[in-house]
Amino acid sequence: MSKLDGKIPTGPIESKWQDHRFNMKLVNPANKRKHTVIVVGTGLAGASAAASMGELGYKVKAFCVHESPRRAHSVAAQGGINAAKNYQNDGDSTYRLFYDTIKGGDFRAREANVYRLAETSVKIIDQCVAQGVPFARDYGGLLANRSFGGAQVSRTFYARGQTGQQLLLGAYQSMMRQVDLGNVELRTRREMLDLVVVDGKARGIIVRNLLTGEIESHEADAVVLATGGYSTVFYLSTNAMACAVTAAWKAHKRGAYFANPCYTQIHPTCVPVHGENQSKLTLMSESLRNDGRVWVSKTKNDRRKPEEIPESERDYFLERVYPSFGNLAPRDVASRQAKYRCDEGHSAIPDGEAVYLDFADTIKRQGEAKIAEKYGNLFQMYDKITGENPYKTPMKIYPAPHYTMGGLWVDYNLMSTIPGLFVAGEANFSDHGANRLGASALMQGLADGYFVIPYTIGDYIANTKIQPIQPTHDSFKAATETVQIEIQKLMNVKGGRTVESFHKQLGRIMWNNCGMARNEKGLTEALQQIPKLREEFWNNVRVPGEANYLNPELEKAGRVADFLELGELMCRDALDRKESCGGHFREEYQVDGEAKRDDEKYCYVAAWEWMGKDKSQSLHKEDLTFENIKLATRSYK
Amino acid sequence: MADKMINLTLKVWRQKSKNAEGSFSTYSVNKVSTDASFLEMIDQLNQELIQKGDDPIAFDHDCREGICGSCGFMINGSAHGPLKSTTVCQLHMRNFSDGEVLTVEPWRSSAFPLIKDLMVDRTAFDRIVKSGGYISVNAGNAPDGNAVLVPKPDADEAFANAACIGCGACVASCKNGSAALFTSAKLVHLSSLPQGKVEGDKRALNMVAQMDQEGFGACSTTGSCSAACPKDISLVSIAKLNRAFLKASLNKKPEVKGGEAG
Amino acid sequence: MSGFLSSSVGKKYLMGLTGLVWAGFVFGHMAGNMTIFVSPDLYNQYGHAIVSNKILLYGTEAALILSLLVHVGLAINLTISNRSSKGIASSVKASGSKRTPLAAQTMIIQGTILLAFIILHLITFKYGEYYETTIDGVKMRDLARLMSEVFSQPPAVAGYVISLLLLCAHLKHGFGSVFQSLGLLHPSYQGKIKAASWAYAIVVTIGFISQPLYVYMMS
Repeated sequence: MSKLDGKIPTGPIESKWQDHRFNMKLVNPANKRKHTVIVVGTGLAGASAAASMGELGYKVKAFCVHESPRRAHSVAAQGGINAAKNYQNDGDSTYRLFYDTIKGGDFRAREANVYRLAETSVKIIDQCVAQGVPFARDYGGLLANRSFGGAQVSRTFYARGQTGQQLLLGAYQSMMRQVDLGNVELRTRREMLDLVVVDGKARGIIVRNLLTGEIESHEADAVVLATGGYSTVFYLSTNAMACAVTAAWKAHKRGAYFANPCYTQIHPTCVPVHGENQSKLTLMSESLRNDGRVWVSKTKNDRRKPEEIPESERDYFLERVYPSFGNLAPRDVASRQAKYRCDEGHSAIPDGEAVYLDFADTIKRQGEAKIAEKYGNLFQMYDKITGENPYKTPMKIYPAPHYTMGGLWVDYNLMSTIPGLFVAGEANFSDHGANRLGASALMQGLADGYFVIPYTIGDYIANTKIQPIQPTHDSFKAATETVQIEIQKLMNVKGGRTVESFHKQLGRIMWNNCGMARNEKGLTEALQQIPKLREEFWNNVRVPGEANYLNPELEKAGRVADFLELGELMCRDALDRKESCGGHFREEYQVDGEAKRDDEKYCYVAAWEWMGKDKSQSLHKEDLTFENIKLATRSYK
Repeated sequence: MADKMINLTLKVWRQKSKNAEGSFSTYSVNKVSTDASFLEMIDQLNQELIQKGDDPIAFDHDCREGICGSCGFMINGSAHGPLKSTTVCQLHMRNFSDGEVLTVEPWRSSAFPLIKDLMVDRTAFDRIVKSGGYISVNAGNAPDGNAVLVPKPDADEAFANAACIGCGACVASCKNGSAALFTSAKLVHLSSLPQGKVEGDKRALNMVAQMDQEGFGACSTTGSCSAACPKDISLVSIAKLNRAFLKASLNKKPEVKGGEAG
Repeated sequence: MSGFLSSSVGKKYLMGLTGLVWAGFVFGHMAGNMTIFVSPDLYNQYGHAIVSNKILLYGTEAALILSLLVHVGLAINLTISNRSSKGIASSVKASGSKRTPLAAQTMIIQGTILLAFIILHLITFKYGEYYETTIDGVKMRDLARLMSEVFSQPPAVAGYVISLLLLCAHLKHGFGSVFQSLGLLHPSYQGKIKAASWAYAIVVTIGFISQPLYVYMMS
């Protein structure tokens, strides 16, 4: 078993990144334009990386599956972005943000990365303000902040409920400026279907033009993947329909290790599942739990209307179980409690799962107008989806898959185990350990893109002998052929079941066995079911249409094929990690319903290496050491 | 969430590709849950079409929560359907009644060439942004976030315009296929902030030029764009665009050649 | 400024400004013609005063013709380019809250009819039968007589009333839009502009319609 080298710089944590920046080699400005960098994905991480590298003078080629980079799923983030600005004079600091993030991640993240993230956070806000991101401001014209889960300071910057969209527009516009200047070449509606590795280095990608079906080869000196997370493996999640693991998975199959796949975040406040034909779930911002009280009826299978259930017959379970944090318990903890209540038969809806999120008390206290001012758009959105007025009747909510902390393994430079392949944003295994704090995803994506990758990629290029290469090189031909064969295979099955039905079935297996709570029995069963389902998929899937034109069903089929492999790895990882930490909750390892970590045995990053088709991935471990923050048990009681 | 089941008749525009002949095809969709979204209803129809060996209806969609701007088509002549401030992904079937006949067709505009069925190519919007819809600031160059104070009303105005999701409903609902609302929203977003004022003139000139070059029509102030806008961008933004364009045209200075010497 | 004038925004500025010239003129024209309610003599004297002031007359005529030519020329140009921008129109027209107001949809049709009306109007009056009368020893054209002849025929009155109703729609949308096109719209008086454009259009139209009706009833 090889030792994974995180390449963490030596020295005190406060100066690691500064020292490292000085020690990294630079590429002279005149030479930068001789180097091409491919960026796959144009969400926060990808667009910011492409823009920054374009500004530095590299030749950048950016790719996205969407019609426009502005449609990347970062757009949907609601709450905000953290930064250790301490504008509120409430005792925030880089160190405190670092500490909160490590603790929130249940001590399963790398200290050095997280510290750099906290350090960089302040520059992100400056950059975004300069780009024209319309952050909320107070009447004096200064930036406003709000509080978010897992922190005792107010450090979250926000643009109403559309922070993700506004930050993405900032990054997108900066990238479009580079497109205008000729530094970035943008190719939209392209899906990466393979990574080309030449002499052990990432040298290009194979993409399918989603409009024409054409398979294209693109060469570069380095490749950055910023292709997001894989929550859609659950079928129903808050992620967008096109979110997929495909790009990351193809890189994994070419030698990039996949780290901590079982770390998934289930967000407690989402609009519940309503029927068989539902395609996705919608998040209701965490901020609602500031003023809403979560409860279920004390009576099982209570079919009365919530207004008719008297106060004495209600169980405000978060307040009961966590008297000190109450309704503001962190995401993983709150989600689990909602699941327990529904498992016990207290669900608010028949044939489904939901708990109440009730604003009646706050409305009584503050008036409807005040609530409308704070949450008007969310209430309206809820009303649109459910047809129920949350001012009059409690919201019904239930946890849903939302974010994946796992992803491709990267070292401190955000380089994967394939030299020249960098991974940014949610796609990497990230800085969030086993659980991500609210408002930290946007921070990480932009830190990686604006302020980390542009430096570390220069160091790689300056230190590496990179031979010129043409897209006609044998490796490109071989990869193109692999892609074409797989597409033909999918088209030729001509079976009886739609792609959607396989995806739904996989989602159910994953949700039931590798969702909010996992156990050995369920995971073992899932590990038997998934390969069977995969086999059926390859023998019975029906992909209509042709491969040489727009074919959304073919796109979906390819993505589901990859999910059918990833799902198995997630279950294996979850089975292997015999402890509970953050979003990974093994029912066997708990104390009174709370996660029980095993730092003796599992204080490591699990990075899986692809060993070939029909072979099991092999596990590599990167030990996590905590030199600055003492390992401790999280408690919210 | 007590759902009902309704049956509908859909007349959907089917067109294989940009240059192919298009026409309406009629489908009955049965047992549609009133809790389903409009797109989920089309998903349901598509699953049936695939099972029958027919070609499913192509439409753009992604986030399905009204923010990515991917989805959008005309339902009975209204962009994003009958409800105000809504995208089709957020339009739920409880707004329709049993037995209704709905005509579904793509955004119509020469600047949005049709790709397939209900899918059109809106990359013209990206090119308008590319022409000047940004503030020129390289990463690492920015002063402290609080170094420049922004009056709250200005910040609010910037936000209200930045809320645009680029869905194209404004163009589709306009009888002229004008992109004035989209272009003005981006311009007003950036120009109402102090950091965006420096490049204001250049932005106005370039964005209007690009908008015209893409082949969008002129604004006739019918107001249908704003009525169809899922984010309620105001018509006032177009007035501001016009004003900024006049001012920029009057201020235009001759270009200095060879300015970077030394 | 050549870029300005050839842009879609610049064209709308010109549309608005030339429209404003005519909007001002029709208001003055309507107000002046109100003299017919006082007496045919006063009406004739008013007309004579205008044609006697050659600078005012030719100046106004030149401004009106130029404005009309630009307005009509641009209208044709914009209609053609807007149609081509739209390409295929949707097969169903929106109803309900997303409906485009009819007046705004049909500006070019209204404009075409109004142009025909203007030409007919000029043929009927300016270049029509020349009667003479003498008032207070001054020889002048007896337009009041021509007016009473023309408007004693019901079809002429009906034609005028219909044309003037179209003018009302045209002025309403035009006057309401000009602030937008000229970049003068502001949220704080957006509502007032709408009200003002209605008031203006209704005053002009009622004023104008009252004249042939009055003459018809007197004849």
